[in-house]
Amino acid sequence: MMAGILWVFSVLTAAGLICYGLQFWSILAAARTVESACGVPGGSFLPPISILKPLKGLDDNLFDNLESFCLLDYPRYELIFALQDRNDQAHKVALKIMNKYPDKDINIVVQRRNEGLNPKVNNLISAYEAARYEYVLISDSNVLAGKDYLKMTVAPMKDPGVGLVSNLIEGVGGRTAGSLLENLHLNSFIMGSVCFLDRFLNIPCVVGKSMLMRKTDLEAVGGLPGVKDVLAEDYLLGRKMNESGRKVVLSPYRIQNVNHYWSLKKFLNRHTRWGKLRWKIGGPKYLAELAANAVFISSMPLLLHGPAGGALVLALSTSLVKTAGDFYIGKKTGNYLNPLSYLLVPAKDFLIGLIWFVPIFSSGVVWRGNKYLIGKDSALSPCPETFSTVQGMRKTTWSYRIANTIRERFA
Amino acid sequence: MLLCDFHIHTTYSDGSVELGTAIDLYGQAGFDVIAITDHVVNGDNLLGKFARRFRFSVREDNFDEYMDSLKREARRAWDKYGMLVLQGVEISKNYISADMSAHILVLDIKGFIPACLSYEKIFLEAKKQGALTVACHPHHLSDNSRDTLYLWNNRDKYARYIDAWEIANRDDVFNVISLKKYHYIANSDFHKPRHLYSWKTLLNCEKDVESVKQCIKHNKGVAITLFRN
Repeated sequence: MMAGILWVFSVLTAAGLICYGLQFWSILAAARTVESACGVPGGSFLPPISILKPLKGLDDNLFDNLESFCLLDYPRYELIFALQDRNDQAHKVALKIMNKYPDKDINIVVQRRNEGLNPKVNNLISAYEAARYEYVLISDSNVLAGKDYLKMTVAPMKDPGVGLVSNLIEGVGGRTAGSLLENLHLNSFIMGSVCFLDRFLNIPCVVGKSMLMRKTDLEAVGGLPGVKDVLAEDYLLGRKMNESGRKVVLSPYRIQNVNHYWSLKKFLNRHTRWGKLRWKIGGPKYLAELAANAVFISSMPLLLHGPAGGALVLALSTSLVKTAGDFYIGKKTGNYLNPLSYLLVPAKDFLIGLIWFVPIFSSGVVWRGNKYLIGKDSALSPCPETFSTVQGMRKTTWSYRIANTIRERFA
Repeated sequence: MLLCDFHIHTTYSDGSVELGTAIDLYGQAGFDVIAITDHVVNGDNLLGKFARRFRFSVREDNFDEYMDSLKREARRAWDKYGMLVLQGVEISKNYISADMSAHILVLDIKGFIPACLSYEKIFLEAKKQGALTVACHPHHLSDNSRDTLYLWNNRDKYARYIDAWEIANRDDVFNVISLKKYHYIANSDFHKPRHLYSWKTLLNCEKDVESVKQCIKHNKGVAITLFRN
């Protein structure tokens, strides 16, 4: 019996490692593209760009993130910081940046908008209305950009058939275990999946941290109001753009997402939420994620039968391969996480494997303090007040407490 | 209004982050004025000796280095974030009994003040240096193992020396300070990054050392806020 289980999971692990190998290859190919593009001059296609920055709360490194957009090597652009509330902690940081760079074209828009259920889109709508240029770049507040970012990102737009350009993201920093796990996951699974979908399946996988579009193209697919009630507005904008016949291009230029002080809870919360999005959008394709998690699969015989020789060898060797692979990717992409942090890779993959199951049982998400239920294609609906309680159970029972704890932890 | 925190520890004493990292953490969050106030612990009992032995205290022999680092980081903070950094210490007189213990912030300190001096001498030396004195967490804390009650218990004797009292420290609020109508400020008593989100002071004054000190001293245009993300 044990030998049979071990054999089955060995085959599944091998399949998972092949998937990982394809992701690995896609990332390295993208890294090579960056290296070859670095020496290429930006060219003469440098249209003026409006950068829309939705702000809410304090992200790690917020001052530097915003400042990096004042130091871009680009002839003409405007920077629009959008907030819903003047009392938001980010407002003070935005003001400081504006005062530090009086010669830059910076505008702070504070407007409470309630057009839709997605607070980021609500925030973006007011920024979009203030944007003066035809090219708009939506850029999250937790993005740190290099000087060449705009030049490199706008280059594919020279082709009028291109409707949207997004960028790869890499996680940097990490002073807590939660941040390290986040950065390791961004730099392996997330980056690998985006590169893999783009290179092998030609599926546009837009990550909303950086999206460059023309206003005319965006409005032709319904504009921002068209995605005001979905959570994955980035993915759906990419899909709409693709369906309208416009190309969606993944720029190999990597932007940085600085994560220093994440708690483990925040890491789990984000990836449970992202998992729910992928489950609601991808449906059965979501199963492939579990199949590609070789570390988690290889640990199953250990969980089922305890630390027997073969099971231990399978789990340890898979963990070793995955850790070495992630370390090599980090080295080749020039992403300098502390080498010792890669020892967390197996634990991270195991945790990700565990939370993979949550979206199948729960549709509730908590995002930036708001609670929602998500439906097909990440459509948002207001969360009923009973969300934090489990209906049909008396509050004093142990089953209620356990079920409620699980719901709240993973919402 | 200036967003301020006047009670911050670094690895110069028992804080968990280095001086530069602490400055960056506050700078990135948009603060206007902060004070770095590492402990200067009394060495006249076992507790103090332990703290000094394990370098949880600024000592006379590294005080100049501490001040030089503060000045260097203050310049960097001003240039980069437009954030004013005051040089300070927290004179920490620790005893087994909370009734005997007291902590005093000395803001804009210029020279070393040993914590083993008497309270009067500490206050007078701080005044001589033109520094501001603040009574830290003067009443019962939610974590009562950190209680330092000496100054409160002897307020009739010492209140005249004290420029302000902490009305709130991290998550604790001391309503007795309000009842007594003492001058007040609120601080995080920052030791770890998560302590950034705690009680803070808002000052309505110019962003320079003298204006900040005068504003606290006269306690006009002072408000407190619970800084949360």
